Amino acid sequence: MNAFGLAPLLLIFPAIGVLFNTFAGPRLIRAERKTGEMYAGWFASLMAILAFLVAVMLYFSLRAHDYHAETVRLFDWIVVPSAGFTIPWAIQVDTLSVTMMLVVTGVGSLIHIYAIGYMHGDPGFHRFFAYLNLFLFFMLILVSGSTYLMLFVGWEGVGLCSYLLIGFWFDRVNEQGKVMNADAGRKAFVVNRVGDFAMVLAMILLFWAFGSLDFGAVFGSAVDLFAHGEMVTLFGMEMTVGAVLTAVTILFLLGAAGKSAQIPFYVWLPDAMAGPTPVSALIHAATMVTAGVYLMVRSNVLLEIARQSTLDGVAGASLLGLSGPDWIALTGAATAVLAGLIAFTQFDIKKVLAYSTISQLGFMVAAAGMGAYVAAMFHLITHAFFKALLFLGSGSVIHGMEHGHHHVHEHDHEHDAHHKAEKFDPQDMRTMGGLRHKMPITFAVYMVGTLALAGIFPFAGFWSKDEILAHASTNHGSIFTAVYILLTVAAFCTAFYMGRQIKMIFFGSPRHEAAEQASESAPIMTYPLIILAALSLLGGLLNFPFFTESAYKAAKAAHSFGINLGLEHWLEHSITAFALTEEGIVHMPHTPTWMQVDVALISTILALAALALAVGVVYRKRPQTATERDPLQGTPIWWFAILPFEWFYMHTVVPAFKWSARWLAEVLDGAFWHDFVHDNIIRDLFVGFAKFSANVLDANGVDGLVNGSGRLTHAVGAVLRKTQTGYARNYALGVFLGTVILLAYFIFAS
Amino acid sequence: MFSTVTIDWYVALSVLLFTIGAMGVLMRRNAIIIFMSVEMMLNSANLAFVAFARHLGDLDGQVLTFFVITVAAAEVAVGLALIVTIFRTKHSISIDELNVLKG
Repeated sequence: MNAFGLAPLLLIFPAIGVLFNTFAGPRLIRAERKTGEMYAGWFASLMAILAFLVAVMLYFSLRAHDYHAETVRLFDWIVVPSAGFTIPWAIQVDTLSVTMMLVVTGVGSLIHIYAIGYMHGDPGFHRFFAYLNLFLFFMLILVSGSTYLMLFVGWEGVGLCSYLLIGFWFDRVNEQGKVMNADAGRKAFVVNRVGDFAMVLAMILLFWAFGSLDFGAVFGSAVDLFAHGEMVTLFGMEMTVGAVLTAVTILFLLGAAGKSAQIPFYVWLPDAMAGPTPVSALIHAATMVTAGVYLMVRSNVLLEIARQSTLDGVAGASLLGLSGPDWIALTGAATAVLAGLIAFTQFDIKKVLAYSTISQLGFMVAAAGMGAYVAAMFHLITHAFFKALLFLGSGSVIHGMEHGHHHVHEHDHEHDAHHKAEKFDPQDMRTMGGLRHKMPITFAVYMVGTLALAGIFPFAGFWSKDEILAHASTNHGSIFTAVYILLTVAAFCTAFYMGRQIKMIFFGSPRHEAAEQASESAPIMTYPLIILAALSLLGGLLNFPFFTESAYKAAKAAHSFGINLGLEHWLEHSITAFALTEEGIVHMPHTPTWMQVDVALISTILALAALALAVGVVYRKRPQTATERDPLQGTPIWWFAILPFEWFYMHTVVPAFKWSARWLAEVLDGAFWHDFVHDNIIRDLFVGFAKFSANVLDANGVDGLVNGSGRLTHAVGAVLRKTQTGYARNYALGVFLGTVILLAYFIFAS
Repeated sequence: MFSTVTIDWYVALSVLLFTIGAMGVLMRRNAIIIFMSVEMMLNSANLAFVAFARHLGDLDGQVLTFFVITVAAAEVAVGLALIVTIFRTKHSISIDELNVLKG
């Protein structure tokens, strides 16, 4: 019994949800606000839940089918009969895609339900759910496609939904009258375009080199060519497979850097927090931004061939001496540290989480670049749980603060009109404090999320983060060592900024009257939070490690792993690089199969120390009031050059930029470009050319030609008119002579 | 003897008549004379037709002669009408006076 035939439903259910909320939603809500919202919200949630059930059925089908991948062909998409070339629209059901489907639809369903409560009363309620369903639709295309082209369709589609949802409140303006949400959406869209361009180039390269975009065909052909050491012809040049795939992996890195917010394209993600909080949780934390990681894991064969080519010293198979995957690993690790440091100085509750997301995505990208594909997916899943939890928790906090603010103003609006003019930002952590008594459920689940993110035993984040660190520490090579050190620093930063955040939000005393009046959110919002908290607590069981080498060896001898390494045994059916390593074609970095106690101890101690440092030392007393400075502000630069990141930035990068910009504007642009080039070269050249054209070319050349042709006609006519005597006999003579000549010709020529 | 007059004689006479007609058309100024010369050329052709028809034992030439005579009659009717009209307007039938097409 299998349910592979149900796979198309995975896409059909969200599509129905989009249509329902686009066409029926506005009418329902206009007719009756409260019940209309119920129908619109629950219908969309139901579609997400149904898609989740389909994914669950696919999961059991795969188990029953001995994990054998299946491709469900829907129709032929691009057909070129003359070239015998077809790109089908097909759904690939294998362990990797089903994992992604489960995460996307599972976390997605919870966030849909939460959003019914969060978006209550919003004028765009139905539009919001239509967009959310549309996002699910495209995300499922992305993870289920069997070709790079289908993946790209989903990739662009989720980019579109991201743009629509970041700018969901597109009419909101800030003090300067700028439509900041719409601007943030545009920024995300445009930054992503840069990465997408790299994706297109990568696909073109793959197609030229291997003649297909189908995952199976590309990987098969790449392995064949690589194993036989054959060359491919590109741009009329013979190139090694290693060189092509190094270029492809670098281009994939750029594409993933856009979508998954890595250096240098991470700038869009913090701004994307302008969207409603459920969007931040679903798109900008749990699912869409992990698309880049999925791409890397999906392309594991290409990455491993690129790595092996560099090791073998194949011609052209490295960039500045490093292989493509090395660049991926270093980019991810550097992003993890940089974003972790930037998060120290943020005051917006969601911006902290945004930088945290960038940092955690850095962990995943680094893991994929190190060949730790299972660990990358493991961290992707647990991160989806706890980061969705944290974002939804922050949404609950914001909701509570807004309610508190509203409550305050209802009571004293008649005699306190100036309060209206006062700016209140419900997302500013400096106005919070002491919320643990007001919002007990939110506090409890937020603590679970924080501990999971900080990597404290036994929460989910501990296991997944530890697996990545263990992978980095057990492999030899300077890249792995560098990544290990960077990621350990990033893990320390993670615990620190999360400690700072919970201290500022939940502990101490309220620093604003809104915080005093804040209240717990409705059950429709807290139940999804509790489910996500449970997942964040238990997520580690997905890929529970062996504690000792002997336990692993005993289990291997008995061919029974129990609950241990579940995800690894599940995913290894999709990650072909494992099989290629066994065949000896490539040599993947070694994956640790039992727990590295020293690594786990170091990271746990660092995390606890960072939490203690944040909660107990740096933020113990301050900030007490909303206007008080952050203790880290104004720290001398030698203390931590990057810590007051903004100060550092304002005093080094900005003046240099300003100076160069002024130089460019005044000297280069003003004096040189405008005055000299414009007047002396462009204008004078233009005028000179115009004069030449008018006085020489036109007067002599063009006019001469026109008048000359007239004069020529006149002269020829004056000569020819003499033949027109007007005497009939002259014409007759002509006719006779002509006849004679013709006759003579016919007689003598033949 | 009848048989001594061979096809060559007829052709020679036809050529002679045609040449006289052509010269008349080219050299004379009187429109009537030119007209008559044209008729002579047509009839020289008729003579050649009939002679060859007889020589080849084929009636096609004889039939064609009737067509030529018919066309010549029609032409005379139109041509004489033109000449009469020209005489009425110009009081002359010298074609040298009809040179309004001079370039």
